[in-house]
Amino acid sequence: MFSKLLILLFLPLVSCLGLLSVGKKANAWAGWVASFVSLLGLGISLYLFQSWVHAPQQFSVEWFVLKEKSFTLSLQTDNLTLIMLVLVHFVALLVQLFSISYMHDDAGRWRYFAFLGVFVFSMLLIVLAGNLFLMYVGWELVGLSSYLLIGFWYEKPRAVWAAKKAFLLNRIGDAGFLMGILLLFWYFGTSELSVLSSQFTVNSLPFAVSGNEVTLIGLLLFCGAVGKSAQFPLSAWLPDAMEGPTPVSALIHAATMVAAGIFLLARIYFLLTPDALTIIAIIGGITMVLGAYRAIFQTDIKKLLAYSTISQLGLMVLGMGIGAREAALFHLLTHAFFKAGLFLCAGAVIHAVHTQDMRQMGNLRPKMKVTFIAYSICAAALAGLPFFSGFLSKDAILVEAFAWASQRTAIAYVLPVAALLSAGLTAFYITKQWRLVFLSRPTSEAVIHSHEIHEADKLMQLPMVLLAGLSVFVWFSINPLDAAHGWFFQLFPSKFSHEWHTIVATLSVIVAAIGISLGYICTFNHNIPSIVQQFGTLHDTIKKAYEQGWDSVKHQLQILREHDPETEQFLFLISPLQKIGQWLYHLDHKIVDVTVNGFAYLTVIVAHIIGRFDRMVVDGAVNGAAWLARFVGSRTRNLQNGQAQSYFVVVLVGIIAVILWVLH
Amino acid sequence: MKIPYLLSFFVFHPLVGTIAILLISNRFKHTYKWITLFFTACQVLVSGVLYSMYDTSNPAHQFVEKADWITLSLGNMGTVSIDYLLGLDGISFPMVLLTSVVMLVGAISSWHIDKREKAYFSLYLLLTTSITGCFIALDFFLFFLFFEFMLLPMYFLIGLWGGPRREYASIKFFLYTLVGSLLILIVMIALYMSVIDPVESQLTQTMVHTFDLRYMTDMRNYLPNSLLSLSGEVNLFGIPSRMLAFWLLFIGFAIKLPIVPLHTWLPDAHVEAPTPVSVVLAGILLKIGGYGLLRIAYPIFPDAANEYAFVLALLGVISIVYGGFNALAQNDLKKMIAYSSVSHMGFVVLGIASLTSEGINGAIYQMVSHGVLSAMLFLVVGVLYDRTHNRLIDSYRGLIGPMPIYTVLTGVAFFASLGLPGFSGFVGELFTLMGGFKSAVVPTWVAALGTIGIILAAAYFLWTLQRMFLGKLWAKNQDDLVVLYDLDAREKWMLVPLGLLAFLIGILPNSLFQLSDKTVSQLLKVFE
Repeated sequence: MFSKLLILLFLPLVSCLGLLSVGKKANAWAGWVASFVSLLGLGISLYLFQSWVHAPQQFSVEWFVLKEKSFTLSLQTDNLTLIMLVLVHFVALLVQLFSISYMHDDAGRWRYFAFLGVFVFSMLLIVLAGNLFLMYVGWELVGLSSYLLIGFWYEKPRAVWAAKKAFLLNRIGDAGFLMGILLLFWYFGTSELSVLSSQFTVNSLPFAVSGNEVTLIGLLLFCGAVGKSAQFPLSAWLPDAMEGPTPVSALIHAATMVAAGIFLLARIYFLLTPDALTIIAIIGGITMVLGAYRAIFQTDIKKLLAYSTISQLGLMVLGMGIGAREAALFHLLTHAFFKAGLFLCAGAVIHAVHTQDMRQMGNLRPKMKVTFIAYSICAAALAGLPFFSGFLSKDAILVEAFAWASQRTAIAYVLPVAALLSAGLTAFYITKQWRLVFLSRPTSEAVIHSHEIHEADKLMQLPMVLLAGLSVFVWFSINPLDAAHGWFFQLFPSKFSHEWHTIVATLSVIVAAIGISLGYICTFNHNIPSIVQQFGTLHDTIKKAYEQGWDSVKHQLQILREHDPETEQFLFLISPLQKIGQWLYHLDHKIVDVTVNGFAYLTVIVAHIIGRFDRMVVDGAVNGAAWLARFVGSRTRNLQNGQAQSYFVVVLVGIIAVILWVLH
Repeated sequence: MKIPYLLSFFVFHPLVGTIAILLISNRFKHTYKWITLFFTACQVLVSGVLYSMYDTSNPAHQFVEKADWITLSLGNMGTVSIDYLLGLDGISFPMVLLTSVVMLVGAISSWHIDKREKAYFSLYLLLTTSITGCFIALDFFLFFLFFEFMLLPMYFLIGLWGGPRREYASIKFFLYTLVGSLLILIVMIALYMSVIDPVESQLTQTMVHTFDLRYMTDMRNYLPNSLLSLSGEVNLFGIPSRMLAFWLLFIGFAIKLPIVPLHTWLPDAHVEAPTPVSVVLAGILLKIGGYGLLRIAYPIFPDAANEYAFVLALLGVISIVYGGFNALAQNDLKKMIAYSSVSHMGFVVLGIASLTSEGINGAIYQMVSHGVLSAMLFLVVGVLYDRTHNRLIDSYRGLIGPMPIYTVLTGVAFFASLGLPGFSGFVGELFTLMGGFKSAVVPTWVAALGTIGIILAAAYFLWTLQRMFLGKLWAKNQDDLVVLYDLDAREKWMLVPLGLLAFLIGILPNSLFQLSDKTVSQLLKVFE
């Protein structure tokens, strides 16, 4: 078993190194090699999948010993691992197949598939890691592969900027994650998940650690998930990450890497205290609503999907927070298929019309029939229509959310109601997109007359169709309205509360129906005044006022700064205090972005002030001394002889002085 | 198998090269660099031999060589005894390995030195001997001698082969280091007055004072009521003398390290120094500060180290954050990297101050890791400077176009330095931070502040990567575009092995930890 896991883990890395060492010559076959490796990995994972009934297994290797304390690297498999292994390999395989066609004329394919190999390797490391330390290693490495793939077209300044932004925002979350791991090392002397979980189950709280400390550790570890799963307040990187190639968005920024945060929460679930869980639920709720809200206003086909991903991730985190661990994992699984499907369909559309602006698209249905059907199925799953996978998983979370709230005070109902609301918003925006892209008359003349629009080729169709097929209910449960008896919940038993099921299912169908009908009516190019549009106007007004305020501040700052004005728009650094901005202007993410930029300016300014302080104050004293030395040594300024003599004179005088002082 | 005088050979054989270079006429000056290369390569080989012979289970000094050097009878004040004493243990050995590698790389990067070759290469080999000697000496006097002797070649290497403000930079470097060594000298003499050699004193029935560092760590060898004895209530300026002595030593080594606010010599020295000297300066000389703390200040004054752990850790964290912010503000690539060194060396101080096994082993590891990576980073700057004589970050964009291999290796150096797992920087930062968190003497919030450093490192390295190397090709000076050709074979031979080394010790940290572990455990016994 262990050797199989190692083979599984290192296959993609070996293929990646192979591709990198061959270089450009590998362009012709790089995609096939990568797909073959993923297929092999999928085969091994499916083979391992049969062993799911076994108890979790642990494989440790000693890394080194410090002061009789050994540090180990360990891999662990349980049901969750096996599901994730299959999921990662399956989506990776489809995306690689899709990419062979999608990237067929890109000169950097060898690099592209090699980077995908790095990604698969590091994702597998996260999935297989048996201790948090090794998981952190994988965590950082997926950050690297995400950086490399977002910035794949390195000549596009915006792509490079977005890559850096993604890495930095993730780094902020990772710093918290790292602190959590170090605290675990401090309190428990290990980050081994099996050891930790046994300590937590034997006594409800382990020795000598107070509840608050455990809450703190849990929240610090959660910071890692906040960064990677684009939760509030670190979610700004995900929409910008859409600068990367579209298949990458499907694999990394929709199906797998961003779900790593959810996976992490599932792994460390035993050490999350009720307090920590409540905060996690609230963060998830905020992310979910903000993501859905912002998705409404997008005109870029990919950015809309990115905000949708943020919103769905928020829903999963919310699920984790309210105790619906298994339901959240179920949603992770269904979401991976339908969102990857949506991204691949969007990729096919972009490939055909060469634009990402939905306002320039339209009436693509007759020309791209397969894409249209696949897209419709995936969109229905996202909107939460019955008979599709999304309904089952969303419903599972909603049911538990209502049950959770019913055991608490009335205010707790905010969360499930918000989840319902954002489900409605989701149905709204995805219908709007569906109609804009495939049905409505295009506004841009160029697109109508373009004869170049063609259906995607077979290699691209296959992944789309497969993913769409997997977005239908039958794969998860025979009952189209309730997954409680499906295989997933057999594998991961969950305390399903049935009293809420009927009412929640009805409610969510109603909400989805309202969302869809509104979305169908209110497309952007139809000038129908509606609540949504008024909402949009309000949004714009706030945004404008805010941006004007910032513009004047920025103008002032510009004078202070010495940077090349051309690089100014790419000046995003770090965002240490986003929360304050969010508190003041809750609701709108755009506003946070502006604040973030403000902090970035501030950081650079602080850096410059410190730099000047260094030069003037700290250095000033030294310069004074140096000047004195020069003055004294003015006779012996010639480097070749004088200084050495004066040096020894000074040393001698020093020695004599010290000896006199010591002996006084 | 025992090889007699192996360490002496190791330390002094580069001097043979110096003499050879001095003797060979200027007409054959093209041979100088080959001689330098030969002797530095020879040192790498010998350190390989040492590595294979080193006993990792033994915490004490190995390969010890001892000879009486100076013995003077001072009548009723006892006897002066200075020994020629060399030895390797888990603290010095990693530094020695680092030195031999970095000196070899520095020799390769000196290939294009084209003025006063004779002086340059003979000084370079002299520097090699004095640095190696400094790490191996076990007698305080001998240590100090080598320590001071480093200054001389360094001063001339910056002052004669440096950039436009070289005189300013070299005198600044000189002044700073001079102050530092004076402080160390004071403590050395005070220690000498207080410590006796128990064996010799027994034999001769007189007070034989000694500079042997091993005797200085044993409190039984201190004369009762001497200046620095543990029981002695000697106060100077109202401060207990042992505390004062510790601070003098600390400041002396902190200047080398450097710790904020004693760091301002570093950016100037780097900016003006020629590339190979920058490599040696950042790669090795800074480590002498950390090494001095571990070899001298901590074992001799454990009481003070324990008492001031909080302040020391705080100073380390301030260096981490302050250096990081400064690096963010720089427009000169070399200065940016110089400040990143300040930030990374802050981790060393944090680790040492933690007084934990993880922290101190991590600090030693971080010194080696930073030695390799900063050498690589300064070589990266040197590559660009050789071509265009302009290092300003905002003068370039999209260097990846004409220089893809260069950009990839720069990316490797940057990511390794910002602590990407798989490379050495990650392990160093992780274990120094872990020490800080675990430490009983350092508050958790201080260590937690240190994690800001890893965010800042990502910010300044990735921002630089974005501004200089990626995007569309552009240069402020159009003429530069012609000379931006990719790496030649010699440059690859410097950068690729360093990158591989950072990777190897990054995934196999045991290669270094096994050397230092036992010695560090021994050192920590005093603190328990």
